[in-house]
Amino acid sequence: MQCHEEPMLREELIAKYLLKRLDADTVEAFESHYLVCDECFEELRASQLLIAGLGKSKISRRQVGDVAVLDFTGPAQLTRLSSEVKELFSSVLEQKDTKVLIDLSRVSRIDSAGLGALMACYSHAVRNRGLLKLLNPSSEVQNLLRITKIDSLLQSYPDERSALCSFE
Amino acid sequence: MEFEQDDLEKFRRKLRFKVFYHLGSFCPDVEDMVQETLTRFFGAVNDGKLRNPESLGAFLNGICNNVIREYRRRLWRDAPQKITPLAPDQPVAPEADLLELRDAIDAGLMQLSDRDRTMLRAFFLEERTKEEICRELGLPELQFRVALFRAKERFRKIYHATLKPQAVWNH
Repeated sequence: MQCHEEPMLREELIAKYLLKRLDADTVEAFESHYLVCDECFEELRASQLLIAGLGKSKISRRQVGDVAVLDFTGPAQLTRLSSEVKELFSSVLEQKDTKVLIDLSRVSRIDSAGLGALMACYSHAVRNRGLLKLLNPSSEVQNLLRITKIDSLLQSYPDERSALCSFE
Repeated sequence: MEFEQDDLEKFRRKLRFKVFYHLGSFCPDVEDMVQETLTRFFGAVNDGKLRNPESLGAFLNGICNNVIREYRRRLWRDAPQKITPLAPDQPVAPEADLLELRDAIDAGLMQLSDRDRTMLRAFFLEERTKEEICRELGLPELQFRVALFRAKERFRKIYHATLKPQAVWNH
């Protein structure tokens, strides 16, 4: 492999390998190489950590009137092992907003821990005499909210305008 | 051909990475497969089947591929209804150790400038073209390689100083 002569080529190779964009022959060749090349393996590990860190979803907050709108800036999952649950807690429970709208359009999956987090956020808002609503959940998430009857407490809206109007 | 204890540990670590890559981070039998690969590998080396030391990597990789293939076949045979194979284009799932390292990775990334993070994210994660990245960052295309390499270099230094010792321990 020409990894050592051309560092840029190696970066591209590693990025494509980690994102599973390489054909089988190139995967075979690269794996045969890194199994005996410590330098390339360390690069691979560094890039894996880099991609893991960069890929982590963040929650952005914006204020529309007196409503705090929380958006996931990347694809997200609200599950026991995902960092987004922890982030959601700190975005809602550590703030004093009374009107909160959570945009779920980028959330592909929610498990019991995620539902628990949403309910904890809802309880926090109610305790502060506020409101918490959801924006644009996927059909899977919507189904889950319906099955667990959480949709009777947490109202969902398909677009931001109608969601914001509902707070008035 | 002789190997030191250190070589064995390096092989083990790399094979673990490879098996995780192909079978997903929650496969419960990774250690067994790594051990099986190493047992077959050292057996074959002792039997003189590795004729060309230059092809050691391909030889070891081939044995590991066979072990993975056999494992998959066994799973399909024993419980075909329970198998949900990884989609071929699915990116590598976060490993358990990566979840544990999350805070350290975040701290490392925070040491980079916004521009470095934007560039690295665009290149490594969003797979955007050089032209698109340069346009967004207002960077001459000729400088892209150097800028990207320097941004990665800064993360690499953080990795070697803080993340690698933990990653080695965990992985």
